[in-house]
Amino acid sequence: MAAENAVAQDSWGGGKSPFNVSYGKLMMWYFLLSDAFTFSALLISYGAIRFSSPYWADPNEAFSAMPFMGHAKVPLGFVSIMTFILILSSVFVVLAVIEGHRDNKKGVMKWMMGGIIGGIAFLGCQAWEWNHLIHGGNTLWENNYGPQAFGMLFFLITGFHGFHVFSGIVFNIWAFVNTANGEFGRRNNGYEMIEKVGLYWHFVDLVWVFVFLAFYLL
Amino acid sequence: MAHHELSDAEYKSQVSAVWKATAWLSIITIVEVVAALLYPESSPKIMLNIFFILASLLKAYFIVGEFMHVKYETRALAITILAPTIFLVWFIIAFMWEGGEWLNLREYWGVIEPVVKGAADHGHGGGH
Repeated sequence: MAAENAVAQDSWGGGKSPFNVSYGKLMMWYFLLSDAFTFSALLISYGAIRFSSPYWADPNEAFSAMPFMGHAKVPLGFVSIMTFILILSSVFVVLAVIEGHRDNKKGVMKWMMGGIIGGIAFLGCQAWEWNHLIHGGNTLWENNYGPQAFGMLFFLITGFHGFHVFSGIVFNIWAFVNTANGEFGRRNNGYEMIEKVGLYWHFVDLVWVFVFLAFYLL
Repeated sequence: MAHHELSDAEYKSQVSAVWKATAWLSIITIVEVVAALLYPESSPKIMLNIFFILASLLKAYFIVGEFMHVKYETRALAITILAPTIFLVWFIIAFMWEGGEWLNLREYWGVIEPVVKGAADHGHGGGH
C-alpha cells in the first residue's frame, strides 16, 4: 500500500505528465476517441437499418468487380488489395515514427513518402470502385443489389472514411515537408509531430477494419 | 519533452515487433477472405459472422496496441483511451434490437418497402 501510494504520488504529484505523453499527443488521442464514436454511430446506424430491412445486398455479388478484368467476377478481390495497401501504408508510417526516435531525417522522409504513396493508392482504388458502381447504376437513390438504404449507407460511410484518408494524406504531406526542410529536426520535441499525424493515420486504418467488416464481410 | 536516442537493440526489437504485427494483420485478412469465399451456403451464417467479428477485433488489437503504441503507454493512459469504448456494447445491443423491432412493426403494419428496381435481376450491376 505504501509502495502504491508512492507510485501515485510520483505520477500525479505534479511537475510532469502522469500519462508520460505530451499535451499534443494526449489531445490527439482524445480527438481520435471522439472520432471513433462518430464512426461507431455511423456503422451502428448501418446495422440497425440493415436489421430493419427484409432483405439486404450480398457483398460477394455487389463487390466482385476487378480492374482490367472486364466482367469477370472476383468476389472481395479488389477490396482485399485495398485493405493490404492501407495496412502497408500504416506500417510505413510506424517505421517513420521509429526513425524519428533515432533523429534519422532521411529514414523519416523515406517511410513517410511510402505512407503518402500508399494513401494515394488507396484513394485511387476507392475512386475506381465508386466510379464502377456509379456507372453500373448504383447511386444514393437506387442500386442493383439491395434496398435504397444500402447504396446511401455505402456511399456515406465509405465517403466519410475516404475523406479521413484524404485529410490524413494532407497531414502526412505537411509532416513530410516539415521533415525535409529541417523544421522537426530543430524542434525541442524532435519528430514528435510524426507520431501525432501517425496516430491519425493508424486510426484511419483501424476504421477501415470495421468498414470492411460491416460492408464486405457480414 | 526531451527525446532519447534509441539504442541499436531497442531499434531492432521495435522494427521486428512492427513487422510481426503486419504479418498477423495480413494472415487474419487472408483467412477472413478465404472463409468468406469457401463457407458453404447451407451452413448457418451466424458462425461465420461471429468469426468475422472476433477476427476484426483481433486486427483492431494489433493496430491499436502495436501501431498506435498503446501497449507501451502507461496503464493510466491506456485505460483512459480504452475504457469509454465500453459504451459501444450498449450502443450495439440497443440499436440492433431496435432495428429488429422496426422490421417486426413494418411486417405487422404491412409496410415492407417494395423491392427496388433491378434488385431481383442480378448481373445488371456489371460494368459498362
